[in-house]
Order: sequence, then C-alpha cells, then structure tokens
Amino acid sequence: MSTIAPQFRLSRFIGSLFDIIFWVLLLFSLIGLPVVFIILFYIKMPIINHQLLTPYLALTWMADPSRTLPIIKTLLHTTFFHVIAFPGFGFAALLAAATIFVERKFLAKIQLRVGPLYCGKIEGILQLMGDGLKLISKEIIIPAKADKPIFWVGPLLFLGTAAALVSLIPVAPGGWVVANPNVGLLAVFATIGFFPIITVLTAWAANNKWTFIGGLRALHQMIAFEIPLILSLLSIVILTGTLNLTQIVESQQHFWWIIFAPISAIVFFICIIAELERVPFDLPEAESEIVAGWLTEFSGMMYGLIQLGTYLKLYAFAGLFTVLFLGGWNGPSVWPQFPADIVTQGITIGPITAKIAGLPLFDQEMLNGTLWFVIKTVGVILMILLPRGVFPRIRIDMLLHTGWYKLIGLAFINIFIALGLLYAGVLGPGGLIQ
Amino acid sequence: MHSFLYSPIGLLATLVGEAASSFSPVLLMFGFAVVATGPALILSRMIAPRKTPSPVKFLPMESGQVPKEEGRTHFMMQYYSYVLMFVVFDVMSIFLYAWGSSIIGLPKTATLPIIAFLGIMFAAFGYALNQAGRKNIW
Repeated sequence: MSTIAPQFRLSRFIGSLFDIIFWVLLLFSLIGLPVVFIILFYIKMPIINHQLLTPYLALTWMADPSRTLPIIKTLLHTTFFHVIAFPGFGFAALLAAATIFVERKFLAKIQLRVGPLYCGKIEGILQLMGDGLKLISKEIIIPAKADKPIFWVGPLLFLGTAAALVSLIPVAPGGWVVANPNVGLLAVFATIGFFPIITVLTAWAANNKWTFIGGLRALHQMIAFEIPLILSLLSIVILTGTLNLTQIVESQQHFWWIIFAPISAIVFFICIIAELERVPFDLPEAESEIVAGWLTEFSGMMYGLIQLGTYLKLYAFAGLFTVLFLGGWNGPSVWPQFPADIVTQGITIGPITAKIAGLPLFDQEMLNGTLWFVIKTVGVILMILLPRGVFPRIRIDMLLHTGWYKLIGLAFINIFIALGLLYAGVLGPGGLIQ
Repeated sequence: MHSFLYSPIGLLATLVGEAASSFSPVLLMFGFAVVATGPALILSRMIAPRKTPSPVKFLPMESGQVPKEEGRTHFMMQYYSYVLMFVVFDVMSIFLYAWGSSIIGLPKTATLPIIAFLGIMFAAFGYALNQAGRKNIW
C-alpha cells in the first residue's frame, strides 16, 4: 500500500503556502493590475453624478455601491461583453452544449433507446462533461504525411467561422446583437461560403482517401444547396426592402414572414439541414459509407472543437430561421413586470439587503425578447434534429437533383408570390396590411 | 463629395471605413472563438499521453488495411456540369439581391428588365440542366 506523501512536513507545507501567496501577489501587481488598467482605458466610461468615470474612480466601485450598477450596466453594453458572453460566444456555446445532450436523449427516445444514462445519476446529465474530459485527455494523432499547419488550424478555423456566423444573429431588442452591419444578410452568405472551403482544405491536408471523398462530397453539397438557400431569402428581402437582420425582425411585429413566404421557409429549412450536414444530407461525414468522411483523421480535442463548431453552426442557422421567418424576439409580453420598489429602492431577500436603485440589469422588454427568441430557436433546433432519427441518407445524384431541379424552382415561386403581394398593394409601404 | 468613398446620406458623409467598422465585431468574434478554444488543444497536448510511436500509428486510417497509394489522388470529378452551372448562377442570385433590397424605392416598370433577365437566365438554366441530365456527356 502506497501513501500519497510519505515525507510530509507541516512546516514545509505552510512554507509552500506562503510561497504561493507571495507569487500570486507579485504577479497580480506586476501583470494583473496593469492589464486591468489597460482594459479600463479602452472601455468607454459612463458619466456618473456629472463626473466622467476614470479608470481610477472605476476601482472605487468596491467601496461605493452606488457606482457599481452604472459601471456594470455600461460593461454589459460594450462589444467585449457582447462578444464574450451574451449574444455572442458564451450564450451560443451554452445552447450548443445543451443541444448535444438534448440531441442524444431526443434521438434515443424516438428510437425507443435510453441514451446516456449512467454518468451523473440523473438521466446521464453529466455525460457531456465526461465526454469533454475524455476528448481533452486523448492523444492527438496526426498522420505522418499530413499537411501539419493546415491540419492543426482547420478545427480552429471551423469553430471561428461558426462563431462569426453566430455574431450576426440579433437576439433581443435594444441592440443585443454582436455585429449589426447594414447588409447583414449578405454577411451571413459570405460567412456560410467559408465552410466548404475549410472542409476541403482539411480534407486535402489529412492525406487520406476517406477525408478526400468526404471533402468532395461537401463541395457537391454546397454546389447543390447554396443557390436555393440564397434565393429562398430573396422573397423576405423583397417584402421588407432591407438586408439588415435587426430591421427584418422589427418588420415582423404583427405577423411572421412564414405566413407570406411558406415555400421559402420550407426551401430554406431543407437548405440549412444540408448546410449543417445533417441527416438526410450527411453525405460528407456518412459514417456507414466512408468511415467519418472529412472528420476521419481528427482525434481527441481537434474532433471536439469541430463538434463544438458544428453545434454553434446549428444554433446560428436555427437562430437565422427564427429571425427571418418566425419573428425573432417578437411575442406577447409574458415576462412579469418588475415591482416598482426594486427599481427605485433596492431589493431585500431575507438577510441580504441591497439598497441600490435601478437594480434589474436588463429591462423587461429585453428579457421577454430573449425568452421568445430562445423558445423559437430551441423549437427550430428540435425540428432540425428530428430527421436524424427518422430518415435514411439520400444518394448524391438525388442530392444534386433535389437542389437544382426542385428547390431552385420552388424558391422562384415564392419570389413571384412576394412580387405579387408587393405590387397588388397587400404588403409594403402603403399596403393593406401594415 | 460624390466619390465612392462617401455615401451621401443627408448631411452625414459616411466613410467607407466607418461602414466597414460595423463588420469588425464579426472578426472580433472569430478571434475570440479561436483564442478561447485554442488553449484546449495546447492543454490536450500537455495532459494527453504520447506513447512511443510506431510508424503504423501514423499511417492514414483505411479501416485496418495497409494504405496503398497517396491520399491526395486524382479523382474523377463527377457531376462537373453542376459545378459549371454553380459558377454562373451563384453570382446571378447575389445580383438579384441588389434589385430585391431596393425594389420598394424603384418604379414598377423597373421590374420588367429583371423579369427579362430572369427569362434569359431560366432559358440558359433549362438548357444546362437538360445537358446535365444526359448521361455520358462529361
């Protein structure tokens, strides 16, 4: 029987603790504090009590609670927070991770299996963490003749591009979107166009026959479904007259565009399933035909990153469907009104009393919008997951045939319907339905 | 002030750089995703086992068989006609957005040339699909 530390001395242990404290303090004062001040220097500071908040005053928030809330509210509206946490990476990664677990349970229930069960006692709820630990502790094997730099960079590029796609999705009213360019829809198309390139690059770099075939299949899939995807959204653009995604959501306050463009919605839905490489269009990673397609040579955490990127992409496309066809954040006001005394006086929960005015960090409108957006997006995600438990994979010539002969024609039908609605005076400026 | 660098919106002249700056969060998001998840690869490289390499381990995966040739081979590019059509019609579909996004401000007669354009494209499209449907052509 072995002991963990046979030569244990209490004095040495306490000494090492002091050592650690010394080094932490030294590094914090030499590196941490300058970094904090540099970051504070670049963040636009609010004006509180007729006084511009300087980085020096900002650190007094610990002593003066009335300064805390304005500072936090300002930080919530910076691009840094948008990118890192709420409409950006953190929010999307959380939803993506939840989707991975929900997908496994959902498919299992469809096929009368149990799915993940043991990890975490309750219905395998910790399976995802277990998988993450497994992936991070597995060896990354790179084939000897692979193009190593491209092979290493491939998963990161894929994940980054998926995150760039996420950044264009508006989540809640009041500017809760990471990037809001005037031509948001074109930016979405531009970002989507990178995925097949990354796929083919990594497939070529791996120097494997399976990956190569998978990459070519991804290319063909893009060729078949990119044009219907772009054309199906033209009817929305004709009806709204804008390419800005936030304005498209605001135009759906009274009715959703799926009412006037149902064919577009169906075509777009089929195309996003194809772009996401999900069943029945999962030819690039058809695991029963070509091992794992373009993912064959990825092992360990590289595969994990690609998986995260795939689910970020899934969230982004579901969010895009919600934004374009299902009214985005619009919905009846179900979030309860904040009590007036919370806003004016503060909050008291048991022993904790925070007498700070203006306590709710987010207004009611934003929370309500986020709630509706998440509900609709989760619904769309479940609809995207559903075919995987139901349908077989289709053949590649059927894929091209579907894309070119059927979906493009259907997309054009809805463009003409939209033109008719606009010119008959039903929709648009001065139309019957405003 | 009517150079391409300025778009005359009221009295505000918007620089192209300012318009481009609305895209900068997209790049920030890309960069943040790479910076936030890249360490996972490094961490994995640090804690994962790296056993004594045998050359077999680094062969390409071919379901247990010994790989014969290079992975990057010449490959018969099937359905080439669709690839050619894609090059043309992808650009066309983006051109239609320039018309679609400004249609509310245009007179109704401006739609006729677009319909004519679509007619020409559809004729070409039908002919190309007809050719693509014929077997043994490429």
